Amino acid sequence: MAANVFPFRDARSAPDPVLEAGPVAHGLLPVPLVLDNGSFQVRAGWACPGQDPGPEPRLQFRAVCARGRGGARGGSGPQVGNALGSLEPLRWMLRSPFDRNVPVNLELQELLLDYSFQHLGVSSQGCVDHPIVLTEAVCNPLYSRQMMSELLFECYGIPKVAYGIDSLFSFYHNKPKNSMCSGLIISSGYQCTHVLPILEGRLDAKNCKRINLGGSQAAGYLQRLLQLKYPGHLAAITLSRMEEILHEHSYIAEDYVEELHKWRCPDYYENNVHKMQLPFSSKLLGSTLTSEEKQERRQQQLRRLQELNARRREEKLQLDQERLDRLLYVQELLEDGQMDQFHKALIELNMDSPEELQSYIQKLSSAVEQAKQKILQAEVNLEVDVVDSKPELKKPLETQSFTIISIPGEFEGVSQRPTTQCQAQYTRDAETPDLEQLEPSLEDVESMNDFDPLFSEETPGVEKPVTTVQPVFNLAAYHQLFVGTERIRAPEIIFQPSLIGEEQAGIAETLQYILDRYPKDVQETLVQNVFLTGGNTMYPGMKARMEKELLEMRPFQSSFQVQLASNPVLDAWYGARDWALDHLDDNEVWITRKEYEEKGGEYLKEHRASNIYVPIRLPKQASRSSDAQASSKGSAAGGGGAGEQA
Amino acid sequence: MEAMNENKVVPSEFSTGPVEKAAKPLPFKDPNFVHSGHGGAVAGKKNRTWKNLKQILASERALPWQLNDPNYFSIDAPPSFKPAKKYSDVSGLLANYTDPQSKLRFSTIEEFSYIRRLPSDVVTGYLALRKATSIVP
Repeated sequence: MAANVFPFRDARSAPDPVLEAGPVAHGLLPVPLVLDNGSFQVRAGWACPGQDPGPEPRLQFRAVCARGRGGARGGSGPQVGNALGSLEPLRWMLRSPFDRNVPVNLELQELLLDYSFQHLGVSSQGCVDHPIVLTEAVCNPLYSRQMMSELLFECYGIPKVAYGIDSLFSFYHNKPKNSMCSGLIISSGYQCTHVLPILEGRLDAKNCKRINLGGSQAAGYLQRLLQLKYPGHLAAITLSRMEEILHEHSYIAEDYVEELHKWRCPDYYENNVHKMQLPFSSKLLGSTLTSEEKQERRQQQLRRLQELNARRREEKLQLDQERLDRLLYVQELLEDGQMDQFHKALIELNMDSPEELQSYIQKLSSAVEQAKQKILQAEVNLEVDVVDSKPELKKPLETQSFTIISIPGEFEGVSQRPTTQCQAQYTRDAETPDLEQLEPSLEDVESMNDFDPLFSEETPGVEKPVTTVQPVFNLAAYHQLFVGTERIRAPEIIFQPSLIGEEQAGIAETLQYILDRYPKDVQETLVQNVFLTGGNTMYPGMKARMEKELLEMRPFQSSFQVQLASNPVLDAWYGARDWALDHLDDNEVWITRKEYEEKGGEYLKEHRASNIYVPIRLPKQASRSSDAQASSKGSAAGGGGAGEQA
Repeated sequence: MEAMNENKVVPSEFSTGPVEKAAKPLPFKDPNFVHSGHGGAVAGKKNRTWKNLKQILASERALPWQLNDPNYFSIDAPPSFKPAKKYSDVSGLLANYTDPQSKLRFSTIEEFSYIRRLPSDVVTGYLALRKATSIVP
């Protein structure tokens, strides 16, 4: 039982130190800053020239910020990234500049950049005096690039900037230098997955495709699955823990259907289920009564309710009886021939004719009869009810609707009455973790007892001698999340988006769609160089799965090559750094401040790792004023003079 | 090294006492910068918030794109042509059956009994996960 039990690490991030730039940042030419601006993490560092390419990026932090604890206190202001420590307590206050994979809230982006510059040790006054290499989304909307350029040039006074696509940087980092490659990049990130064909060293942008699923959707799916399976642990199933499960306990099945078949087998299940141990929380087991006491209490409540009901019935019966008597009396009046009184009485009773009176009398008398019957029956059933009724009166479940688990073999002798209590307990549990467990347990009566503790505290068996052992088991196993098929289901959504109801096609089908747009020879070259990158491709079994999918879609006996990035998470940063060092002197690829002012923020200079630039001029946004408190009226003139600021 | 010293002073001052962040602007920034995308003082009371991605894309669509230009919405993956495989909501195995009452999919008898005993919020939860909640009450 102790096999496969894993605790949650619940790691907290340590706040980053403010690093000194050191000799790195000071050289003849200002050293470029490389920022891989991702929706999951921002990675920032210097691109130091010289032989030693340098270590990993100095800063890696989650791209989120939140106001300090306890609402908007005036002092500390919003905290960013690693300074937040653990993300969970602040989960609802976390804000990210990203909407999907595009930065839309530039104010938060500004905070992230402030944090990066500050902690990297940027020391220049009045402006950040280093060229910046920044990653952007594939086919970044022009508006977003305009905003970003504005932020960089106007606020930080950067001399020049270059935008690139993270997956392309990663691709070039993994290929021999300066080779003109063609290939297919499959880049799966936090928010979306791209399939990018590269032809002759240049991105073929019109044939790119993006699937709007990534690590965050997988984490959300896993969270919902576990929360629905364990409704008692709703609060303990947090997104951070889900990410931990995804990173460490999930894998991608090479053949999904076959893998599922394997999971049906109880031995495989036992060996491969990962039981995640939640920290103990005492608030769920509310009462400390033993099961007998609880049973007693339930019976008492039942009795009380029944008595109440009986009393009410009797009262109603009495009232009805009285009314019936009165009506009968009125009817007698009619028979006796006292018409005046009869009519008066009729009017009092609000009735029109003797026939109506008659029918009313009939109805009432039948009601009285039924009431009497019920009272009689209730008294008889009192005994039986106490035994049969369900403990939790609030639950909307009917005792009669329970079905018996058809247990092969062992339980043939047991009676099949639905009201047998021990049976009812096993079937009644709404919080039972796993049905797959029931399958293996069915073959063994002993293990059936073992699974008792998994049930909620309301249903321990009363008639079984196991009762005494239960409290010991209950706690540890109750706090475990059994992650079985979820290990393969959550990462599978990028291959089968229909699992979460997305209409888009999965990676394999999108890949085929893209390949079909090319002539056969180009397809061949592309398929020789399939490259996987991005954090969401780091599941064990990803490469094998991609190879299998390619095998299925390519013609018989054709060849293909799948390569995984050497470091799918950080390669984008390394690639960008290499690129920056290669192109330090090259003016063809950097967007300078002057060009920004002339051609607008959405201007892009193409290079081998950039988007395709479509020369559409965006109207300049509503003008800014240099004084933050200026009224809205005086700002029109400010727009033209925007360039002269700072 | 003056600049370095000043930079070092700034972070230590952050940690002492509740100082207003606005009072200690970072040295490398322009302190008077106002985003143009954000309404702020500019557009008055109307345009306070940032555009979200949907709004940005909507305005991008209106630009004069040529037919073959790549842009953010043209590279959205197409919907799938293949019929989706049905998996059990509870266990993830291949589901051959659907419960007519709750529309949940299941693969074994035990799962069926489990499904029939679920509270209604869990049932709606599973359906919402598949985006199969029906609008008709």
